[in-house]
Amino acid sequence: MKITELSNRLTAVFVIAFILFFGVLTLSEYGEKDFPEISAKTILNGSFGKVLESYMTENFAFRDRWLSAKADIEADMGEKIVDGVYISDGRMLGTEGARRDISLKNAENVNKFADNYKGTVYFTAVPTSSGVYAELLPDYLLSNPEKSQIATLYDGLADGIRKIDTYNILKMMNESYIYYRTDTGLTSYGAYYVYRAVIQKLGFLPSSYSKYTISHVKSDFRGNLYKRCFYDGTKPDILDIYSYSGGAEITDCTVCTDSGVTYKKQPDNMDFSESDDIYNMYLGEGNPFVKINTSVNNQKKLLVIKDSTADCLIPFLIQHYSEIAVIYPEYSEKNMSFFVDPDNYEQILFLFGIDSMSNENLLEMINK
Amino acid sequence: MLYSSLIFIYGFFPPSLLIYRIFSEKLRKTVLFALSMIFCLLCSPEMLVFLIFFTFVNYVVGLFTGAFRRKKLLSTLCLFIGVAFDLVMFFTFRTEKFIFLKERLRIPDEIFPIYFSFITLSALGYLIDIYKKRIRAEGNFINFGLYIMMFSKFFIVIRYSSFRKMLDGLSCDNSQMGKGLKIFVRGLVRKVIFADSLYMLYIAVKSINVLEMSVANAWLGMTAYVLCLYFTLSGLTEMSTGISCCFGMEFPPCFNYPVFSTKIRTFVSKWHIQVLQWFRRCLLKPLCDLSKNRLCHRLAYILTWCAIGTWYRTDVNGLIFGGLLGFFLMEEKFLCRLRLLKATGIIYTCMAILMFAVLISGDDISCSFRYILAMLGGNGVFADSMTLYLLRCYGVILMAGVFFSSMIFRNIAVRCGKTVADIISPVLTVVFLAVCTALISGSGHSAVLILNF
Repeated sequence: MKITELSNRLTAVFVIAFILFFGVLTLSEYGEKDFPEISAKTILNGSFGKVLESYMTENFAFRDRWLSAKADIEADMGEKIVDGVYISDGRMLGTEGARRDISLKNAENVNKFADNYKGTVYFTAVPTSSGVYAELLPDYLLSNPEKSQIATLYDGLADGIRKIDTYNILKMMNESYIYYRTDTGLTSYGAYYVYRAVIQKLGFLPSSYSKYTISHVKSDFRGNLYKRCFYDGTKPDILDIYSYSGGAEITDCTVCTDSGVTYKKQPDNMDFSESDDIYNMYLGEGNPFVKINTSVNNQKKLLVIKDSTADCLIPFLIQHYSEIAVIYPEYSEKNMSFFVDPDNYEQILFLFGIDSMSNENLLEMINK
Repeated sequence: MLYSSLIFIYGFFPPSLLIYRIFSEKLRKTVLFALSMIFCLLCSPEMLVFLIFFTFVNYVVGLFTGAFRRKKLLSTLCLFIGVAFDLVMFFTFRTEKFIFLKERLRIPDEIFPIYFSFITLSALGYLIDIYKKRIRAEGNFINFGLYIMMFSKFFIVIRYSSFRKMLDGLSCDNSQMGKGLKIFVRGLVRKVIFADSLYMLYIAVKSINVLEMSVANAWLGMTAYVLCLYFTLSGLTEMSTGISCCFGMEFPPCFNYPVFSTKIRTFVSKWHIQVLQWFRRCLLKPLCDLSKNRLCHRLAYILTWCAIGTWYRTDVNGLIFGGLLGFFLMEEKFLCRLRLLKATGIIYTCMAILMFAVLISGDDISCSFRYILAMLGGNGVFADSMTLYLLRCYGVILMAGVFFSSMIFRNIAVRCGKTVADIISPVLTVVFLAVCTALISGSGHSAVLILNF
């Protein structure tokens, strides 16, 4: 047998064995997971092919290892961008900020709302880690920096609305651990500084940092950026929770869902340690409306309209208000009036990550 | 379904190979046809129905053209109907004008327009060959159906007569299968490793405002574009060739290391050989046969190049690209007389090809001309920090791309002797298959395409 022929035969054996090994392993879990249903109907409407393809992708044998191998190869091969996540020396940063289009429709909705509202409206747009650590990103991804995105948004808001600047404070603090390394969001430490800026504008003295006791929840946390790129080279994050010893406590927490079901939540038995979502860690799963009563006895009430970025800030605000109502527009298809009458609150705080502001219909619900 | 997807490599390919090998030689054609139907069905049932309809129309038109071969007028009429039908379908899929039809057929949009561009060439070539009496019309629907619809032949354009000969001896030999797998993995590497990372480089350059782009960035972007185009097209055809080889059909190679030629003419003769040959045989030759006038021949040459440009990109840019390149090719012989060109041929060709590539890459004509201006230094900046950053990130892959697309690589491979290549290739093939699998494991496929097909 000639050597070329032998080589070809060997290749055939190796490659077919390799393909069969992974192919059979992937498909052998047939029935255990949601394998696409084979029927004339699914085949004829074309869904079978699509479902089969995504089944194959999601349940591919040893998927986790393939993915982290992919991240390593891609980070070594070209630019350090894996699935839209830029991997810099110390942290991961999202790259979609460069293409983000800030919708002024949200600003218009807030303006319209403020016209009909007696109290004071405050607006805070919090940058993502890509905005604060922009200098780590390559130049061509900086044509539309978050700083100017925030400025555009604030320019669109009416004069009567008090705008709270957090970008410059966070920028100043960027040597500290204010953002997670593997997530776009603020750490509790970063949240504390945003809280200081916000609460001063709202007319209170911020609680001093030394009054908080810090408890470590987790030291191997990997956030939403990691879940996109699966790159293991960045150090995992530490999750901390700040509690104010001897301060006010939550006395009552009412949750309302979109279908109108209301139930009480025990604030003291929240178990954070198992939750792998830093956002759920503070307020529990995403609910459209949460009302928190506290032991503070000043009869002050605050309405917060927010996105997930703001979750980490709520625990800090508890020290100052006897009632805080929280509305989460992303999780609701109802209008705001379905949950709450804004005129019962003397202050309203809009608290959003700048990334949410590209969704132009987000704040439609506050005016209907 | 894409060739470079997990579902194809690990889900569709192994069972179809098994089924193919179980059946005896007589039934293999039918088996292949059935497998191709399943392939299309998994993409979208509407696509299957449409492809069968398309095949059937061409089959019938072919039969009629053949039947009237003694009556010139009638056979011309048949040919005209067939060509008109194919062209209408081609423009339907390639332009946005008929988007309602595309939506109605629920065509998976990422790759199908490309499939279809190749299929149209095959069908048109078949009809023209019958009309020119080079072949007889095919009576067996399965044979013709395989020529149009075979799942492993989507990126291959080949004469019907050669294809028909291959169908007669469908073997299934282990050694041939190994050879096919080697070619397939090579194509996969070209697409997934090279084309996809060069695409990222091209996109990075493209995101710079063209009015501020430095000279170095502009050239870097175009180099990435041309190499990416080369690796994409050659990768797709090699994957096609490799799979076909596993199923007993050996198609000739389509690219013969065209990048780094000494003349544009040489470049063109090595680039996408099957497709350019098709245009020469089915468009240029019939046009030249119409008249003996030299001027007419020159006009026909330019027209053919306009058609080629339009085939690559169906808009004004493609037309202008084709026309200019055709004109340039015709007049190149005057340049070739220059002594200087003997030494600097490669540089001249590369620069010219990059300039021409701007025309097919730009969003529109004015954008392309602004880009060319940037390449020539119109923005007054030679290089900036971005250039350094891009070179640092993509330097290695760019060098590797240049190396593997050049004759140097081929020459080294030849000098080392076949023995060395034969010994290491089985292991290398598996390693590269694993690397490519890792790279496509995130999304399940590698769909990015540089051509605005």
